[in-house]
Amino acid sequence: MAEPADEGRAERFERYLDALLTDGRPSPDDVADTNEAEMARLAAELSAATAPDPPGATTPDPAFVDQLRLLIRQADQGVANVQVPLPVRRRGQVAEPSARYGRMSLTRRELLGAALGAAAGLAVGAAGLAGVRELLEGDGWSDADLVAGEGKWVAVAAVHELPEGEVVRFSTPAFDGFVVNDAGEVRALSASCTHLGCQLQYRPAWRDLRCPCHGASFNLRGWLANGRNRWQQDGPYRGDAEAYPVELPPLARPKVKLANGQILVWTASI
Amino acid sequence: MADPDARPADERGRFEEIYDVHVVPIYRFIHARVGNRPDAEDLTAQVFMRAVEQLDTTRQPGQIASWLYRVSQNAIADYWRAFYRLPVIGTDYVAPGWEPQAAISRERSDEQAAADRATTARVKALLAQLPQRYAEVLELRFLHRLSVAETADRMGISHGNAKILQYRALRKAALLGETDG
Repeated sequence: MAEPADEGRAERFERYLDALLTDGRPSPDDVADTNEAEMARLAAELSAATAPDPPGATTPDPAFVDQLRLLIRQADQGVANVQVPLPVRRRGQVAEPSARYGRMSLTRRELLGAALGAAAGLAVGAAGLAGVRELLEGDGWSDADLVAGEGKWVAVAAVHELPEGEVVRFSTPAFDGFVVNDAGEVRALSASCTHLGCQLQYRPAWRDLRCPCHGASFNLRGWLANGRNRWQQDGPYRGDAEAYPVELPPLARPKVKLANGQILVWTASI
Repeated sequence: MADPDARPADERGRFEEIYDVHVVPIYRFIHARVGNRPDAEDLTAQVFMRAVEQLDTTRQPGQIASWLYRVSQNAIADYWRAFYRLPVIGTDYVAPGWEPQAAISRERSDEQAAADRATTARVKALLAQLPQRYAEVLELRFLHRLSVAETADRMGISHGNAKILQYRALRKAALLGETDG
């Protein structure tokens, strides 16, 4: 009964079905064309409709629901934000270190030098959908993920170096990032693009963090700013000819605090 | 310098309530269309992460549910389009019982059971339209979750032929689905 043409296709498509029916992640590579894609979609629906335990029902893994809730809570509450008014300085003015902010341990020159010399920090990992999974599995989103003793506060900039509107690059042994003063709200953002981990560059004119590898732009809250969904909602991103083609998870946002005139970021101890 | 994405402080925390109400029905909605747990988890995470960013939590509960289902529909359509080069499917694809109204009800179990029965009936109707050998192979593989080898043994054919049979059965079933739609 076998026609040669069907034999190879059937063999390959079985790999798709096998992954699907054993609760694995099927690979699009096992689907050759649009007709097979329709078959895959039917098989996916059929598989869900006939899921064995309990019959016909498909409930999420409770551990997944809990992990996602944690992630949602952190994103929603903005754990990385500090609502403390900071000294305001107009651009171009010389910083006047004030006594009340205490001793500075780092100058910007030292900071930038350290950043340039540092090895790549915490790369957040794989592309697209897989990136969300990695976030869920914990990568230093906040200290809530860390067992006590595994992290520490690290001074990354003096408060006076970060007037309103300013963005400063920092580098610690565990983590490369930016600290941002966005209308008096200070937050820290990972410098690693959530696509493939390239080091983001701050573009003052655009007020975004731009990936030199494939052109993803993140806004200063850490969200992808030039993805397709945003284009549909807000129109084209300034200066870009086309939308960034895949959705990316947001940048990791470690916790920040202010103490003794310093901005401190919570990072892993290594 | 204020970011347009910034939401007022009094909205914070409310999102978790929304999450708890919707995460299971949204996951089920997505799982029913992608058919596997890893992809369903990723798409569910994507929907709620986007919701944190973009959803106006001061909307009415019905509007929130509609928003979540619309974003889920788009995520599913993107999934099939991006990975499998398929066109967007219409909203008529939403099976009975999966509409937002069913999801926002806190007493969902009865409706969910009804939806499950409707889905089972749909599967049976689909199998009934297929030639007997095609229906048999799909029933053994999907309903009974037998491996290809077990299915082949049960049907008294070679493993290679079982793979070809299931391939043709799905191709035929996909064509039936198209003419139905």
